[in-house]
Amino acid sequence: MCLWQNTLKRELRTKMNCGECQKKISVFLDNELDEITSATVRSHLALCAECAKVCEDFAAILESCRLEKPSEILPPNSQALWCRISNTIESEINPGTKSAEVQKSWFGRVWQVSFSQAGSAVLGIALISSLLTVVGIRNYIEPTAEDFTSRTDASQTTIEKVLSKVGLADTPQEARMRRFQEQRAAIEYWNNRAQQRRVQWDNKMREAFDRNLNEIDQAVGEYTTILQQDPQDDLSGEMLDSALNEKMNLLRAFSDL
Amino acid sequence: MIRNLKYEPRVLMHTKPGKAHPLIQLVLTRKTTILLWLSVVFFFAPILNEVSAQRRFSRNYPATRNVRLQLLNRSGTVEVEGWDRPEISISAYLENPAANIAPQSLSGTIYIDLVKDNQGRNGVGNVNFVIKVPRLSIVDIETRMGNLSVTNINGGLVRAMISTEGDITLTNIGAGAVDAQNGIGDIFFDGEMRSGGHYRFTSIRGNINLRIPFNSSFRLVATAPSTRNISLGSFGNSNMNLLGNGRSVVGRFGNGSSTLTITNHRGSISFIRR
Repeated sequence: MCLWQNTLKRELRTKMNCGECQKKISVFLDNELDEITSATVRSHLALCAECAKVCEDFAAILESCRLEKPSEILPPNSQALWCRISNTIESEINPGTKSAEVQKSWFGRVWQVSFSQAGSAVLGIALISSLLTVVGIRNYIEPTAEDFTSRTDASQTTIEKVLSKVGLADTPQEARMRRFQEQRAAIEYWNNRAQQRRVQWDNKMREAFDRNLNEIDQAVGEYTTILQQDPQDDLSGEMLDSALNEKMNLLRAFSDL
Repeated sequence: MIRNLKYEPRVLMHTKPGKAHPLIQLVLTRKTTILLWLSVVFFFAPILNEVSAQRRFSRNYPATRNVRLQLLNRSGTVEVEGWDRPEISISAYLENPAANIAPQSLSGTIYIDLVKDNQGRNGVGNVNFVIKVPRLSIVDIETRMGNLSVTNINGGLVRAMISTEGDITLTNIGAGAVDAQNGIGDIFFDGEMRSGGHYRFTSIRGNINLRIPFNSSFRLVATAPSTRNISLGSFGNSNMNLLGNGRSVVGRFGNGSSTLTITNHRGSISFIRR
Protein backbone atom coordinates (compact mmCIF):
# COMPACT_ATOMS: atom_id res chain seq x y z
CA MET A 1 0.00 0.00 0.00
CA CYS A 2 2.68 2.41 0.97
CA LEU A 3 4.63 1.56 -2.02
CA TRP A 4 1.62 2.10 -4.22
CA GLN A 5 0.94 5.53 -2.70
CA ASN A 6 4.53 6.63 -3.11
CA THR A 7 4.46 5.55 -6.73
CA LEU A 8 1.26 7.55 -7.39
CA LYS A 9 2.73 10.66 -5.77
CA ARG A 10 5.75 10.45 -7.95
CA GLU A 11 3.57 10.02 -11.02
CA LEU A 12 1.39 13.03 -10.25
CA ARG A 13 4.36 15.23 -9.45
CA THR A 14 5.89 14.36 -12.74
CA LYS A 15 2.63 15.12 -14.48
CA MET A 16 2.67 18.79 -13.22
CA ASN A 17 5.74 20.65 -12.07
CA CYS A 18 5.64 23.50 -9.50
CA GLY A 19 5.80 26.36 -12.02
CA GLU A 20 2.80 25.12 -13.94
CA CYS A 21 0.91 24.55 -10.76
CA GLN A 22 1.54 28.05 -9.37
CA LYS A 23 0.41 29.59 -12.65
CA LYS A 24 -2.87 27.77 -12.39
CA ILE A 25 -3.51 28.30 -8.68
CA SER A 26 -5.46 31.53 -9.19
CA VAL A 27 -7.71 29.94 -11.79
CA PHE A 28 -8.00 26.82 -9.64
CA LEU A 29 -9.25 28.84 -6.70
CA ASP A 30 -11.82 30.49 -8.94
CA ASN A 31 -13.05 26.99 -9.95
CA GLU A 32 -12.52 27.74 -13.54
CA LEU A 33 -10.31 24.80 -14.45
CA ASP A 34 -11.60 21.67 -16.13
CA GLU A 35 -11.97 18.58 -13.98
CA ILE A 36 -8.86 16.77 -15.07
CA THR A 37 -6.56 19.79 -14.67
CA SER A 38 -8.24 20.67 -11.43
CA ALA A 39 -7.62 17.13 -10.15
CA THR A 40 -4.01 17.32 -11.27
CA VAL A 41 -3.49 20.66 -9.44
CA ARG A 42 -5.21 19.35 -6.37
CA SER A 43 -3.03 16.25 -6.39
CA HIS A 44 0.11 18.35 -6.83
CA LEU A 45 -0.89 20.59 -3.94
CA ALA A 46 -1.46 17.60 -1.76
CA LEU A 47 2.02 16.33 -2.41
CA CYS A 48 3.96 19.66 -2.71
CA ALA A 49 4.21 21.78 0.45
CA GLU A 50 5.71 24.78 -1.36
CA CYS A 51 2.87 25.08 -3.86
CA ALA A 52 0.34 24.42 -1.09
CA LYS A 53 1.76 27.43 0.75
CA VAL A 54 1.32 29.63 -2.34
CA CYS A 55 -2.20 28.38 -2.70
CA GLU A 56 -2.97 29.20 0.93
CA ASP A 57 -1.67 32.72 0.41
CA PHE A 58 -3.83 33.21 -2.64
CA ALA A 59 -6.82 31.84 -0.83
CA ALA A 60 -6.25 34.20 2.10
CA ILE A 61 -6.09 37.20 -0.24
CA LEU A 62 -9.24 36.18 -1.98
CA GLU A 63 -10.97 35.67 1.30
CA SER A 64 -10.04 39.11 2.56
CA CYS A 65 -11.27 40.62 -0.69
CA ARG A 66 -14.57 38.97 -0.24
CA LEU A 67 -14.94 40.17 3.32
CA GLU A 68 -13.90 43.82 2.85
CA LYS A 69 -16.10 46.51 1.20
CA PRO A 70 -14.95 47.55 -2.31
CA SER A 71 -14.59 51.23 -1.27
CA GLU A 72 -12.11 50.24 1.42
CA ILE A 73 -10.01 48.25 -0.94
CA LEU A 74 -10.06 50.63 -3.91
CA PRO A 75 -8.02 53.84 -3.57
CA PRO A 76 -9.78 57.20 -4.14
CA ASN A 77 -9.99 58.00 -7.84
CA SER A 78 -8.79 54.63 -8.89
CA GLN A 79 -9.08 55.53 -12.55
CA ALA A 80 -6.50 58.32 -12.19
CA LEU A 81 -4.27 55.99 -10.26
CA TRP A 82 -4.47 53.43 -13.00
CA CYS A 83 -3.65 56.06 -15.57
CA ARG A 84 -0.58 57.09 -13.60
CA ILE A 85 0.48 53.50 -13.18
CA SER A 86 -0.08 52.88 -16.88
CA ASN A 87 1.98 55.94 -17.85
CA THR A 88 4.77 54.96 -15.52
CA ILE A 89 4.84 51.48 -16.92
CA GLU A 90 4.84 52.77 -20.48
CA SER A 91 7.63 55.20 -19.81
CA GLU A 92 9.65 52.46 -18.21
CA ILE A 93 8.99 50.15 -21.09
CA ASN A 94 9.88 52.70 -23.90
CA PRO A 95 11.99 55.51 -22.39
CA GLY A 96 14.00 56.24 -25.60
CA THR A 97 11.01 56.34 -27.91
CA LYS A 98 9.11 58.87 -25.78
CA SER A 99 11.90 61.42 -25.40
CA ALA A 100 12.70 61.10 -29.09
CA GLU A 101 9.12 61.99 -29.89
CA VAL A 102 9.22 65.05 -27.65
CA GLN A 103 12.48 66.20 -29.16
CA LYS A 104 11.16 65.71 -32.64
CA SER A 105 8.02 67.75 -32.05
CA TRP A 106 9.99 70.60 -30.46
CA PHE A 107 12.60 70.75 -33.16
CA GLY A 108 9.93 70.27 -35.78
CA ARG A 109 8.15 73.45 -34.71
CA VAL A 110 11.27 75.57 -34.90
CA TRP A 111 13.01 74.20 -37.91
CA GLN A 112 10.11 73.27 -40.14
CA VAL A 113 10.68 76.27 -42.45
CA SER A 114 12.07 76.51 -45.89
CA PHE A 115 15.41 78.15 -46.59
CA SER A 116 13.78 81.13 -48.29
CA GLN A 117 11.47 81.63 -45.31
CA ALA A 118 14.39 81.52 -42.92
CA GLY A 119 16.29 83.98 -45.12
CA SER A 120 13.34 86.37 -45.23
CA ALA A 121 12.96 86.17 -41.47
CA VAL A 122 16.63 87.00 -40.95
CA LEU A 123 16.44 89.88 -43.42
CA GLY A 124 13.27 91.18 -41.76
CA ILE A 125 14.84 91.09 -38.33
CA ALA A 126 17.95 92.86 -39.63
CA LEU A 127 15.87 95.54 -41.36
CA ILE A 128 13.64 96.20 -38.35
CA SER A 129 16.55 96.33 -35.93
CA SER A 130 18.49 98.73 -38.17
CA LEU A 131 15.42 100.93 -38.59
CA LEU A 132 14.86 100.99 -34.86
CA THR A 133 18.51 101.88 -34.34
CA VAL A 134 18.35 104.74 -36.86
CA VAL A 135 15.09 106.09 -35.42
CA GLY A 136 16.46 105.79 -31.90
CA ILE A 137 19.65 107.63 -32.77
CA ARG A 138 17.82 110.31 -34.71
CA ASN A 139 15.33 110.86 -31.90
CA TYR A 140 18.15 111.02 -29.46
CA ILE A 141 20.19 113.41 -31.53
CA GLU A 142 17.61 115.41 -33.39
CA PRO A 143 15.40 117.53 -31.16
CA THR A 144 11.80 118.32 -31.93
CA ALA A 145 10.97 121.44 -33.89
CA GLU A 146 10.26 123.34 -30.73
CA ASP A 147 13.42 122.19 -29.02
CA PHE A 148 15.46 122.97 -32.07
CA THR A 149 15.50 126.66 -31.37
CA SER A 150 17.20 126.07 -28.06
CA ARG A 151 19.75 123.63 -29.46
CA THR A 152 23.27 124.87 -29.09
CA ASP A 153 26.82 123.58 -28.96
CA ALA A 154 26.73 123.88 -25.20
CA SER A 155 23.59 121.78 -24.85
CA GLN A 156 25.01 118.96 -26.98
CA THR A 157 25.65 115.73 -25.12
CA THR A 158 28.97 113.92 -25.37
CA ILE A 159 27.46 111.18 -27.51
CA GLU A 160 26.04 113.76 -29.87
CA LYS A 161 29.41 115.48 -30.15
CA VAL A 162 31.15 112.18 -30.86
CA LEU A 163 28.58 111.23 -33.47
CA SER A 164 28.86 114.67 -35.07
CA LYS A 165 32.63 114.34 -35.32
CA VAL A 166 32.39 110.86 -36.77
CA GLY A 167 29.88 112.19 -39.28
CA LEU A 168 26.93 110.10 -38.18
CA ALA A 169 25.01 113.10 -36.92
CA ASP A 170 24.68 116.78 -37.82
CA THR A 171 26.29 119.49 -35.77
CA PRO A 172 23.82 122.08 -34.42
CA GLN A 173 24.91 124.46 -37.19
CA GLU A 174 24.35 121.84 -39.87
CA ALA A 175 20.99 120.92 -38.38
CA ARG A 176 20.06 124.58 -38.31
CA MET A 177 21.04 125.07 -41.93
CA ARG A 178 19.04 122.04 -42.93
CA ARG A 179 16.04 123.41 -41.08
CA PHE A 180 16.39 126.80 -42.75
CA GLN A 181 16.46 125.13 -46.14
CA GLU A 182 13.26 123.28 -45.31
CA GLN A 183 11.63 126.48 -44.10
CA ARG A 184 12.68 128.35 -47.23
CA ALA A 185 11.22 125.62 -49.41
CA ALA A 186 7.94 125.86 -47.50
CA ILE A 187 7.99 129.65 -47.78
CA GLU A 188 8.43 129.42 -51.54
CA TYR A 189 5.45 127.11 -51.80
CA TRP A 190 3.17 129.34 -49.69
CA ASN A 191 4.43 132.46 -51.40
CA ASN A 192 3.37 131.08 -54.78
CA ARG A 193 -0.06 130.31 -53.44
CA ALA A 194 -0.41 133.73 -51.79
CA GLN A 195 0.63 135.50 -55.00
CA GLN A 196 -2.06 133.62 -56.91
CA ARG A 197 -4.69 134.88 -54.47
CA ARG A 198 -3.32 138.39 -54.28
CA VAL A 199 -5.59 139.79 -56.99
CA GLN A 200 -8.61 138.98 -54.86
CA TRP A 201 -7.51 141.12 -51.92
CA ASP A 202 -8.52 144.74 -51.62
CA ASN A 203 -5.89 147.49 -51.59
CA LYS A 204 -5.91 147.85 -47.83
CA MET A 205 -5.22 144.17 -47.36
CA ARG A 206 -2.51 144.15 -50.01
CA GLU A 207 -0.71 147.07 -48.41
CA ALA A 208 -0.87 145.55 -44.93
CA PHE A 209 0.45 142.26 -46.27
CA ASP A 210 3.36 143.95 -48.03
CA ARG A 211 4.27 146.05 -45.02
CA ASN A 212 4.36 143.04 -42.74
CA LEU A 213 6.25 140.89 -45.19
CA ASN A 214 8.78 143.66 -45.58
CA GLU A 215 9.15 143.93 -41.81
CA ILE A 216 9.77 140.21 -41.48
CA ASP A 217 12.22 140.24 -44.38
CA GLN A 218 14.19 142.98 -42.68
CA ALA A 219 14.41 140.91 -39.51
CA VAL A 220 15.43 137.84 -41.52
CA GLY A 221 18.09 139.92 -43.27
CA GLU A 222 19.52 141.15 -39.97
CA TYR A 223 19.75 137.69 -38.47
CA THR A 224 21.25 136.23 -41.64
CA THR A 225 23.94 138.90 -41.68
CA ILE A 226 24.84 138.24 -38.05
CA LEU A 227 24.98 134.51 -38.68
CA GLN A 228 27.23 134.98 -41.67
CA GLN A 229 29.62 136.93 -39.47
CA ASP A 230 29.29 134.58 -36.53
CA PRO A 231 27.83 131.15 -37.31
CA GLN A 232 28.10 130.25 -33.63
CA ASP A 233 25.58 132.94 -32.62
CA ASP A 234 22.82 130.66 -31.43
CA LEU A 235 20.50 133.46 -30.43
CA SER A 236 20.42 134.82 -33.97
CA GLY A 237 19.88 131.28 -35.18
CA GLU A 238 16.87 130.96 -32.93
CA MET A 239 15.51 134.32 -34.01
CA LEU A 240 16.01 133.55 -37.68
CA ASP A 241 14.11 130.32 -37.17
CA SER A 242 11.31 132.23 -35.45
CA ALA A 243 11.18 134.94 -38.15
CA LEU A 244 11.05 132.38 -40.94
CA ASN A 245 8.19 130.69 -39.11
CA GLU A 246 6.39 134.03 -38.89
CA LYS A 247 6.85 134.55 -42.60
CA MET A 248 5.57 131.11 -43.40
CA ASN A 249 2.52 131.63 -41.17
CA LEU A 250 1.77 134.98 -42.79
CA LEU A 251 1.96 133.56 -46.30
CA ARG A 252 -0.11 130.56 -45.34
CA ALA A 253 -2.77 132.77 -43.74
CA PHE A 254 -3.03 134.90 -46.85
CA SER A 255 -3.03 132.03 -49.28
CA ASP A 256 -6.51 131.15 -48.00
CA LEU A 257 -8.00 134.58 -48.55
CA MET B 1 -31.36 176.72 -69.94
CA ILE B 2 -29.70 180.07 -69.39
CA ARG B 3 -27.26 179.25 -72.11
CA ASN B 4 -30.21 178.46 -74.41
CA LEU B 5 -31.87 181.83 -73.68
CA LYS B 6 -28.92 183.59 -75.21
CA TYR B 7 -29.85 182.03 -78.48
CA GLU B 8 -33.54 183.05 -78.30
CA PRO B 9 -33.60 186.88 -78.59
CA ARG B 10 -37.30 186.90 -79.43
CA VAL B 11 -38.25 185.78 -75.97
CA LEU B 12 -36.29 188.58 -74.36
CA MET B 13 -37.80 191.16 -76.76
CA HIS B 14 -41.21 190.78 -75.08
CA THR B 15 -39.89 191.52 -71.58
CA LYS B 16 -41.35 194.58 -69.89
CA PRO B 17 -38.86 197.03 -68.44
CA GLY B 18 -38.23 196.61 -64.61
CA LYS B 19 -39.67 193.11 -64.43
CA ALA B 20 -37.90 189.79 -65.12
CA HIS B 21 -39.21 187.54 -67.82
CA PRO B 22 -41.52 184.77 -66.47
CA LEU B 23 -39.27 182.10 -67.84
CA ILE B 24 -36.28 183.58 -66.07
CA GLN B 25 -38.34 183.82 -62.91
CA LEU B 26 -39.24 180.16 -63.25
CA VAL B 27 -35.62 179.22 -63.72
CA LEU B 28 -34.56 181.28 -60.75
CA THR B 29 -37.25 179.73 -58.56
CA ARG B 30 -36.28 176.20 -59.62
CA LYS B 31 -32.62 176.95 -59.07
CA THR B 32 -33.35 177.88 -55.47
CA THR B 33 -35.31 174.70 -54.99
CA ILE B 34 -32.56 172.63 -56.55
CA LEU B 35 -29.98 174.29 -54.36
CA LEU B 36 -32.10 173.65 -51.30
CA TRP B 37 -32.45 169.98 -52.22
CA LEU B 38 -28.75 169.65 -52.92
CA SER B 39 -27.87 171.17 -49.56
CA VAL B 40 -30.22 168.73 -47.80
CA VAL B 41 -28.71 165.77 -49.62
CA PHE B 42 -25.20 167.04 -48.93
CA PHE B 43 -25.98 167.40 -45.22
CA PHE B 44 -27.57 163.98 -44.73
CA ALA B 45 -25.50 162.04 -47.22
CA PRO B 46 -22.78 160.82 -44.81
CA ILE B 47 -25.43 159.61 -42.37
CA LEU B 48 -27.42 157.89 -45.07
CA ASN B 49 -24.24 156.42 -46.48
CA GLU B 50 -23.23 155.14 -43.05
CA VAL B 51 -26.60 153.55 -42.54
CA SER B 52 -26.62 151.90 -45.93
CA ALA B 53 -22.95 150.71 -45.66
CA GLN B 54 -23.31 148.87 -42.33
CA ARG B 55 -25.42 145.85 -41.70
CA ARG B 56 -25.86 144.38 -38.28
CA PHE B 57 -25.78 140.72 -37.46
CA SER B 58 -26.85 139.53 -34.04
CA ARG B 59 -27.27 136.12 -32.53
CA ASN B 60 -27.34 134.50 -29.07
CA TYR B 61 -26.40 130.97 -28.11
CA PRO B 62 -26.96 129.19 -24.79
CA ALA B 63 -23.60 128.15 -23.41
CA THR B 64 -22.02 126.10 -20.69
CA ARG B 65 -19.58 127.77 -18.32
CA ASN B 66 -16.50 126.62 -20.19
CA VAL B 67 -17.71 127.04 -23.74
CA ARG B 68 -15.16 127.59 -26.50
CA LEU B 69 -15.33 130.50 -28.92
CA GLN B 70 -13.34 130.06 -32.09
CA LEU B 71 -13.38 133.04 -34.41
CA LEU B 72 -11.45 133.71 -37.59
CA ASN B 73 -12.05 137.14 -39.06
CA ARG B 74 -10.70 138.63 -42.28
CA SER B 75 -10.50 142.27 -41.29
CA GLY B 76 -12.09 144.45 -38.67
CA THR B 77 -12.06 144.73 -34.91
CA VAL B 78 -12.99 142.03 -32.46
CA GLU B 79 -14.01 142.74 -28.88
CA VAL B 80 -14.65 139.82 -26.57
CA GLU B 81 -15.90 140.39 -23.07
CA GLY B 82 -16.59 137.94 -20.27
CA TRP B 83 -19.93 138.19 -18.48
CA ASP B 84 -21.88 136.23 -15.88
CA ARG B 85 -24.66 134.93 -18.11
CA PRO B 86 -24.63 131.35 -19.40
CA GLU B 87 -24.89 132.44 -23.00
CA ILE B 88 -22.86 133.84 -25.86
CA SER B 89 -23.99 137.00 -27.54
CA ILE B 90 -22.55 137.79 -30.95
CA SER B 91 -23.03 141.17 -32.57
CA ALA B 92 -21.32 141.94 -35.83
CA TYR B 93 -21.30 145.15 -37.83
CA LEU B 94 -20.67 144.40 -41.45
CA GLU B 95 -19.29 147.05 -43.75
CA ASN B 96 -19.91 146.98 -47.46
CA PRO B 97 -19.42 144.82 -49.36
CA ALA B 98 -20.95 142.82 -46.55
CA ALA B 99 -19.29 139.56 -45.68
CA ASN B 100 -21.13 136.27 -45.38
CA ILE B 101 -21.33 135.16 -41.79
CA ALA B 102 -22.60 131.79 -40.61
CA PRO B 103 -21.70 130.92 -37.01
CA GLN B 104 -21.98 127.29 -36.01
CA SER B 105 -22.46 125.73 -32.62
CA LEU B 106 -20.95 122.27 -32.43
CA SER B 107 -20.45 120.24 -29.26
CA GLY B 108 -19.77 123.11 -26.94
CA THR B 109 -17.84 125.26 -29.41
CA ILE B 110 -19.05 128.30 -31.32
CA TYR B 111 -17.27 128.53 -34.67
CA ILE B 112 -17.18 131.65 -36.79
CA ASP B 113 -14.94 131.40 -39.83
CA LEU B 114 -15.22 134.38 -42.13
CA VAL B 115 -12.28 133.27 -44.23
CA LYS B 116 -14.00 130.04 -45.14
CA ASP B 117 -17.42 131.66 -45.46
CA ASN B 118 -16.09 134.24 -47.94
CA GLN B 119 -13.47 132.29 -49.79
CA GLY B 120 -13.03 133.32 -53.41
CA ARG B 121 -14.85 136.63 -53.03
CA ASN B 122 -13.20 139.73 -54.41
CA GLY B 123 -13.19 142.39 -51.74
CA VAL B 124 -15.07 141.91 -48.51
CA GLY B 125 -15.78 144.76 -46.11
CA ASN B 126 -14.61 144.89 -42.51
CA VAL B 127 -16.58 142.97 -39.94
CA ASN B 128 -16.49 144.44 -36.44
CA PHE B 129 -17.46 142.01 -33.71
CA VAL B 130 -18.68 142.59 -30.19
CA ILE B 131 -18.97 139.24 -28.45
CA LYS B 132 -19.93 138.43 -24.88
CA VAL B 133 -19.08 135.06 -23.41
CA PRO B 134 -19.15 133.38 -19.97
CA ARG B 135 -16.04 134.28 -17.96
CA LEU B 136 -14.67 130.73 -17.91
CA SER B 137 -14.81 130.40 -21.67
CA ILE B 138 -11.94 129.37 -23.89
CA VAL B 139 -11.37 132.20 -26.32
CA ASP B 140 -9.53 131.60 -29.57
CA ILE B 141 -9.69 134.56 -31.94
CA GLU B 142 -7.73 135.34 -35.03
CA THR B 143 -7.90 137.99 -37.71
CA ARG B 144 -5.89 138.87 -40.74
CA MET B 145 -6.05 142.58 -39.94
CA GLY B 146 -7.56 144.72 -37.19
CA ASN B 147 -7.48 145.17 -33.45
CA LEU B 148 -8.35 142.43 -30.99
CA SER B 149 -9.51 143.01 -27.45
CA VAL B 150 -10.34 140.45 -24.76
CA THR B 151 -11.59 141.37 -21.30
CA ASN B 152 -12.63 139.53 -18.12
CA ILE B 153 -11.75 135.99 -19.10
CA ASN B 154 -10.63 133.33 -16.62
CA GLY B 155 -10.93 130.16 -18.66
CA GLY B 156 -8.35 127.68 -19.78
CA LEU B 157 -7.02 129.56 -22.78
CA VAL B 158 -6.97 132.96 -24.43
CA ARG B 159 -5.43 133.01 -27.87
CA ALA B 160 -5.36 136.18 -29.91
CA MET B 161 -3.59 136.34 -33.21
CA ILE B 162 -3.31 139.01 -35.87
CA SER B 163 -1.60 137.95 -39.08
CA THR B 164 -0.61 141.48 -40.08
CA GLU B 165 -1.45 144.76 -38.37
CA GLY B 166 -3.39 145.53 -35.26
CA ASP B 167 -3.12 145.92 -31.52
CA ILE B 168 -3.92 143.19 -29.04
CA THR B 169 -5.35 144.29 -25.71
CA LEU B 170 -5.94 141.67 -23.05
CA THR B 171 -7.31 143.08 -19.80
CA ASN B 172 -8.35 141.41 -16.58
CA ILE B 173 -7.27 137.99 -17.79
CA GLY B 174 -6.82 135.03 -15.45
CA ALA B 175 -6.53 132.28 -18.02
CA GLY B 176 -4.30 129.26 -17.60
CA ALA B 177 -2.66 129.83 -20.97
CA VAL B 178 -2.32 132.96 -23.05
CA ASP B 179 -0.95 133.20 -26.55
CA ALA B 180 -0.88 136.62 -28.22
CA GLN B 181 0.78 137.16 -31.55
CA ASN B 182 0.76 139.96 -34.10
CA GLY B 183 2.79 141.47 -36.91
CA ILE B 184 2.96 145.23 -36.62
CA GLY B 185 1.21 146.53 -33.52
CA ASP B 186 1.28 146.66 -29.75
CA ILE B 187 0.41 143.91 -27.31
CA PHE B 188 -0.86 144.79 -23.87
CA PHE B 189 -1.56 142.18 -21.22
CA ASP B 190 -3.09 143.01 -17.88
CA GLY B 191 -3.83 139.95 -15.81
CA GLU B 192 -2.68 137.23 -13.48
CA MET B 193 -0.42 134.32 -14.17
CA ARG B 194 -1.61 130.98 -12.90
CA SER B 195 0.74 128.44 -11.42
CA GLY B 196 1.61 125.91 -14.11
CA GLY B 197 0.37 128.25 -16.83
CA HIS B 198 1.99 129.06 -20.17
CA TYR B 199 2.13 132.61 -21.46
CA ARG B 200 3.54 133.59 -24.83
CA PHE B 201 3.66 136.97 -26.52
CA THR B 202 5.17 137.45 -29.96
CA SER B 203 5.38 140.48 -32.19
CA ILE B 204 7.37 141.55 -35.23
CA ARG B 205 7.34 145.25 -34.47
CA GLY B 206 5.54 147.06 -31.69
CA ASN B 207 5.60 147.35 -27.94
CA ILE B 208 4.82 144.45 -25.70
CA ASN B 209 3.67 145.61 -22.28
CA LEU B 210 2.78 143.24 -19.48
CA ARG B 211 1.05 144.41 -16.34
CA ILE B 212 1.12 141.64 -13.76
CA PRO B 213 0.95 141.35 -9.96
CA PHE B 214 4.20 141.42 -8.04
CA ASN B 215 3.44 138.05 -6.48
CA SER B 216 3.57 136.42 -9.92
CA SER B 217 5.87 133.49 -10.40
CA PHE B 218 7.42 132.58 -13.74
CA ARG B 219 10.39 131.39 -15.70
CA LEU B 220 11.15 134.05 -18.28
CA VAL B 221 12.69 134.05 -21.73
CA ALA B 222 12.36 137.55 -23.17
CA THR B 223 14.05 138.40 -26.45
CA ALA B 224 14.20 141.72 -28.27
CA PRO B 225 17.22 141.30 -30.55
CA SER B 226 16.88 144.43 -32.62
CA THR B 227 16.14 147.09 -30.00
CA ARG B 228 17.57 145.26 -26.94
CA ASN B 229 14.93 147.23 -25.09
CA ILE B 230 13.80 144.88 -22.34
CA SER B 231 12.58 146.61 -19.20
CA LEU B 232 11.86 144.29 -16.30
CA GLY B 233 10.90 147.09 -13.90
CA SER B 234 10.10 145.67 -10.46
CA PHE B 235 10.60 142.16 -11.74
CA GLY B 236 14.33 142.47 -12.27
CA ASN B 237 16.37 140.40 -9.81
CA SER B 238 19.59 138.48 -9.47
CA ASN B 239 18.01 135.40 -11.02
CA MET B 240 17.65 137.20 -14.33
CA ASN B 241 20.54 136.90 -16.77
CA LEU B 242 21.26 138.92 -19.85
CA LEU B 243 22.24 136.88 -22.86
CA GLY B 244 23.61 137.76 -26.29
CA ASN B 245 24.81 141.23 -25.30
CA GLY B 246 21.47 142.21 -23.87
CA ARG B 247 19.36 140.85 -26.69
CA SER B 248 17.69 138.36 -24.38
CA VAL B 249 16.82 138.03 -20.70
CA VAL B 250 16.47 134.59 -19.19
CA GLY B 251 15.68 133.85 -15.58
CA ARG B 252 13.22 133.11 -12.84
CA PHE B 253 10.92 135.27 -10.80
CA GLY B 254 9.36 133.83 -7.65
CA ASN B 255 9.48 130.07 -7.66
CA GLY B 256 9.07 129.94 -11.43
CA SER B 257 5.82 128.03 -11.46
CA SER B 258 4.67 129.27 -14.86
CA THR B 259 6.47 129.88 -18.15
CA LEU B 260 6.59 133.24 -19.86
CA THR B 261 8.07 133.57 -23.33
CA ILE B 262 8.21 136.96 -25.02
CA THR B 263 9.69 137.61 -28.44
CA ASN B 264 9.69 140.97 -30.11
CA HIS B 265 11.82 141.00 -33.24
CA ARG B 266 11.95 144.73 -33.80
CA GLY B 267 10.25 146.25 -30.77
CA SER B 268 10.42 146.64 -27.01
CA ILE B 269 9.34 144.61 -23.99
CA SER B 270 8.21 146.18 -20.72
CA PHE B 271 6.98 144.86 -17.40
CA ILE B 272 4.66 146.94 -15.26
CA ARG B 273 3.82 146.10 -11.67
CA ARG B 274 0.08 145.75 -11.17
